[in-house]
Amino acid sequence: MANFNIDAKQDMTYDAIVIGSGISGGWAAKELCEKGLKTLVLERGRIVEHVTDYPTMTLDPWDTELRGSLTPEQKAKHPKGIRSGFIGANNEHFHANDVENPYTEVKPFLWVRAHQMGGRSLLWGKQCYRWSDLDFEANLKDGHGVDWPIRYNDLAPWYTHVEKFAGISGEALGLPQLPDSHFLPPMELNCVEKHVKERIEKEYNGRNMIIGRVAHLTEPINGRGKCQFRNRCDRGCPYGAYFSSNAVTLPAANATGNLTIRPFSIAQSIIYDDESGKATGVRIIDSETGEFMEYHAKIIFCNASTLSSTQILMNSTSDRHPNGLGNASGELGHNLMDHTYRVGAMGKVPGFEDQYYKGRRPNGIYIPRYYNLDEQTKTDNFVRGFGFQGSGGRAGWGAGSNQENFGADFKDGLMKPGPWEFFITGFAECLPNHENKVYLNKEVLDKWGQPTLSIDAEWGENELAMNKQIRKDAKEMLERAGLQDITDFDNEHEMGYGIHEMGTARMGRDPKTSVLNGNNQVHGANNVFVTDGACMTSSSCVNPSLTYMALTARAANFAVSELKKNNL
Amino acid sequence: MNRRNALRRTALLAGSAVAAPTLLSLLQSCKEQKRVDWVPQFLNQEQAVFVSSFVDTILPKTETPGALDVKVDIFMDLMYAKTYDENGQKYVVEEIDKFNANCKDEYGDVFANLSTEDKTAVLKKAEAETAKFNPGVWGTAVGEQKPVGFYRQLKSMALWAYFSSEEVGKNILSYDPIPGAYLGCIPLSDVGNTWSL
Ligand SMILES: Cc1cc2nc3c(=O)[nH]c(=O)nc-3n(C[C@H](O)[C@H](O)[C@H](O)COP(=O)(O)OP(=O)(O)OC[C@H]3O[C@@H](n4cnc5c(N)ncnc54)[C@H](O)[C@@H]3O)c2cc1C
Ligand code: SF4
Repeated sequence: MANFNIDAKQDMTYDAIVIGSGISGGWAAKELCEKGLKTLVLERGRIVEHVTDYPTMTLDPWDTELRGSLTPEQKAKHPKGIRSGFIGANNEHFHANDVENPYTEVKPFLWVRAHQMGGRSLLWGKQCYRWSDLDFEANLKDGHGVDWPIRYNDLAPWYTHVEKFAGISGEALGLPQLPDSHFLPPMELNCVEKHVKERIEKEYNGRNMIIGRVAHLTEPINGRGKCQFRNRCDRGCPYGAYFSSNAVTLPAANATGNLTIRPFSIAQSIIYDDESGKATGVRIIDSETGEFMEYHAKIIFCNASTLSSTQILMNSTSDRHPNGLGNASGELGHNLMDHTYRVGAMGKVPGFEDQYYKGRRPNGIYIPRYYNLDEQTKTDNFVRGFGFQGSGGRAGWGAGSNQENFGADFKDGLMKPGPWEFFITGFAECLPNHENKVYLNKEVLDKWGQPTLSIDAEWGENELAMNKQIRKDAKEMLERAGLQDITDFDNEHEMGYGIHEMGTARMGRDPKTSVLNGNNQVHGANNVFVTDGACMTSSSCVNPSLTYMALTARAANFAVSELKKNNL
Repeated sequence: MNRRNALRRTALLAGSAVAAPTLLSLLQSCKEQKRVDWVPQFLNQEQAVFVSSFVDTILPKTETPGALDVKVDIFMDLMYAKTYDENGQKYVVEEIDKFNANCKDEYGDVFANLSTEDKTAVLKKAEAETAKFNPGVWGTAVGEQKPVGFYRQLKSMALWAYFSSEEVGKNILSYDPIPGAYLGCIPLSDVGNTWSL
């Protein structure tokens, strides 16, 4: 999709400005453009055109000299991100440079970022689950954090709205803790997954194992092709088969003729007019020239990703907002959350030697939360709950490394698939805790001389208690499903590994304890909306990005109607 | 003595007077003779001979190509040259030299020069002595990974280099770059070998 209107400098005033072009920014751009607003998207990275800028999308290992290995020079750009295990030569160009964009780990925290048009929508795992009232009412019920200013019913139509356009595949089950989406046909489980599912569902009343719900087309829609099961999504998809800003929302925004994207534009702060009590625009740094510039608009959507949006708000000081835009409550930067990750179990599934599968499914299985749903499932060990992701498959030649064997038979044996293996790993909800926070660090500056973030957060007792339970339950489930050689594990890991950072500019009912209201408006700056993960009041245990999409579409709709009523 | 090893040594020690293997090398095919041209980028001659001999012992030619046919040794040298940092490189050469020194101590010669029997004994011992890789989930090992030691690293790299080569990936394993659909349950006999990707 070529021919974006790429702004040089000529026009400095728009109806709306969107900061960031990732998962949430793309939605803001689409919705605002489609409602007729001339919209400027400020993106700190480069333009990434759908398809033409996916240089590695079809490469087989042998197509490159180093077969996908990173050079020391490439590794040196990602001293932190590399810890995630997700950076390889085939997607390194979509990961932010940690050296140019430093942050300080007061306590260990992994912050995985993507700085280009599309943001992390080019890298994400695409698991998409609706939240339920179990999630939206949790804070109110157990007293951790503040109450969400919205409920499931406020968001349900917006979930449907984004799902219809994004394309989510999955199976409808009618589970109260995991509401169904508007689904495209589900992907298939393989024979061993089907077998494990049957066993688990038989062994445990009320426990389900389902195919993952993912933002992948299993049927073509809107000119996008269906998934070809190549599992090379983090290199960009030539078919536009998974949801990314680049393939889905930004082309739609562009088609309206109302979109302008300005790449290489680091939003430094939001400009606030004390007299009118409104924001008037955004101050940027051109990342290539270092030049400061100002763009103006009636409404501003802040979608730079959870921590970056908070950083921008903290940088936006004025007489009325001396501690950062919307920070009268003192909560800006606080209540950082993530999901625990990498605690679980794995094992071998005996039998099924004659069976195999075809295709590299970019999706796994999901076991929805089963604790603290109601009186029967209540536990005293922790509040809230966790779900599992995982998958089954047959071992490949890699298993040969550990076999105490070598030589002719060994080599030829590795040509055939090995035993069936199956694993699950838990994702637990993280409580909003005021002590988990980020703040500006003026000692450590980025490449452009700007203050960076210090991140000071760690798991609390509740998360660790859940990790214990996850490990225990995972092992037990696999045992009862008949697996052998079971290894249970807790790869103790710091926050950030879940790559689901949320909070730090939470929504709430009371301006004294929150940064945003129920329509994602900044308290005291009504024409500024924050709709990425920064806005989250609690963290649920399911993947959050679908909820950012729905919140963004809802807020954009509200913003435009308020603008029409001259309320902004 | 394995003839292939003889050839390899000849190739790498080109210039030095090794009479018998040179004769043997005349019996090899033209394709194999091309390997005479291989000049390691990173390893020294003796280390390169070691790597060649090692990967050939782990993954010898059978009905299917062996490691040397798909240039596993050449590729490993390239990996050491281009993807290892200085510390990693230092470690590799130290470990190869150590491995050879042990072979000399115990069997009287460097690994490449040992009889097939002795090579087998050396590798069997290494197998038994080195730790295993922990299983991995999503790119990282689970649990606390004990250092696996040089032998297992070398072996796992040899496997990777072999199975990610174009010849093996496209023509030996089952290759299907654009599957088009996911079929969760099909007879293995419909596929044959492991999927290469
Ligand atoms: C490997 C991986 C797997 C994941 N799997 C899942 C999953 O399965 N399900 C799920 O729900 N989530 C998943 N996530 C998380 C998901 O990617 C994020 O939640 C989501 O992308 C956040 O959207 P966003 O719009 O807030 O930010 P991003 O998508 O990160 O985009 C932010 C954009 O803002 C730009 N930006 C930043 N700062 C500035 C600035 N100052 N000025 C201008 N522009 C700026 C960035 O360059 C970027 O383009 C995964 C993430 C990764 C990396
Ligand atoms: S697996 Fe599907 S969505 Fe992912 S890159 Fe391939 S075709 Fe695209």
